[in-house]
Amino acid sequence: MKRNWIIIIVILLLVFIVYGWVKGTYNDMIIQSEIVDKQWADVENVYQRRADLIPNLVATVKGYAEHEKETLEGVVNARAKATSTTINADNLTPQKIASFQKAQDGLSSALSKLMVVVERYPDLKANTNFLELQAQLEGTENRIAVERRKFNEAARSYNTSIKLFPKNMIANMFGFEKKPYFKSQEGSEEAPKVEF
Amino acid sequence: MAYLHKTRIFSIFFAIFISNIILLNGQAIPDKPYPPMLVNDFAGILNVKQTRFLEEKLVRFNDTTSNQITVVTVQSLDGNSPSMFATDIGLKWNVGQKDFDNGIVILIKPKLNNSDKGHAYIAVGYGLEPAIPDAIAKRVVENEMIPSFRNGKYFEGINKATGILMSLAAGEITSDEYSNQSRPDGFVSLIPFLALVIVLLIIRNSRSRTHGISSHGNGSLLTALWLGSIMGNSSRHSGSWNNFTGNGSGFGGGGFGGFGGGSFGGGGAGGSW
Repeated sequence: MKRNWIIIIVILLLVFIVYGWVKGTYNDMIIQSEIVDKQWADVENVYQRRADLIPNLVATVKGYAEHEKETLEGVVNARAKATSTTINADNLTPQKIASFQKAQDGLSSALSKLMVVVERYPDLKANTNFLELQAQLEGTENRIAVERRKFNEAARSYNTSIKLFPKNMIANMFGFEKKPYFKSQEGSEEAPKVEF
Repeated sequence: MAYLHKTRIFSIFFAIFISNIILLNGQAIPDKPYPPMLVNDFAGILNVKQTRFLEEKLVRFNDTTSNQITVVTVQSLDGNSPSMFATDIGLKWNVGQKDFDNGIVILIKPKLNNSDKGHAYIAVGYGLEPAIPDAIAKRVVENEMIPSFRNGKYFEGINKATGILMSLAAGEITSDEYSNQSRPDGFVSLIPFLALVIVLLIIRNSRSRTHGISSHGNGSLLTALWLGSIMGNSSRHSGSWNNFTGNGSGFGGGGFGGFGGGSFGGGGAGGSW
């Protein structure tokens, strides 16, 4: 009779300990996953910030460089494509991140083409409005680099935690999935240099 | 169970190890200074007097507004872009208060010789971005710093730039707003003391009326001394609130208490000469 009680108590204790561990681990993963999602929102924000600068930039350049219609149209189209590609944070997959990145890189290269063209217009380069836009655009590129890196760090720390034993058992049980990274291609970890 | 526990400890250590590797990828970024200082002249372009002047000015600004402006000079950026270098210092040292992200890093890489290029960059914490937009930061670098730096007058340029940044930053959060949020109990804890002082003053006054003139003079001197000691206590009390990061301030009164946990997102601007 007494032995039965001991066994029951031990089992209850074990259940309690295992429950505590599962709960702690699960909640920890949820928190980490939320951090990654929040960081993704920050990434989208800084890209949006860049997109918001473009209408003003295009209008300013147009006033001085009417003949560069093609380049300007390229920027406007690339912007439209970039702003239409958005991803829901809880739906991050490597494919989606890749297509997002592709759209944004398209805008980056259209912008750098525009900046090369701008070199030919000294009046434009002396315009104060343009100089402010230049500083803002440079700052936005820095922000993009910083937020992307922060996103990758958050995703890496989350991925590490769901892959390590024994937490991986819990991750499998509740279907926690690996978060994708931004690929640093063509040295895009560094802020692309916007030379004017 | 013991096995489970062991692997868990191991996994924690492993995770810490991994995250250290990730965090340390910016090798060139100098370590957080200890004791904490706001002026960190690693390149040695300021003399002792200039450093002390700037340090005192920035500490005072930190004490009154909670905005943290740190000046860092380095001999080399080790191949990093000035923007990344300055932002990483801000992130690694946690310049600014945690709740406001109100830090600024002024990074200067002096021009060492004629074939060398000098760089200056102002990195602005998230919270100060509205007060100091990139275009304004750019203007401060171009108008206040670089003209002086070009002539080798580093102190002059830093002094002018910090002055302007201080007035810009101060418009964003007032010291009142900050003190309301982070030290509501600072003043409240003084109220019993003040009440006691008033009561004692009343008692002394009523007593001195019954005693002679000589004891009245003596009493007021004692009260003044006692008042003075309380005031001294209270000012020391208010001087230590910025100490909440856990870095003990080794200085009496005016020392810098330490960086507060602010974050950066790449805001700011720079220039080179």
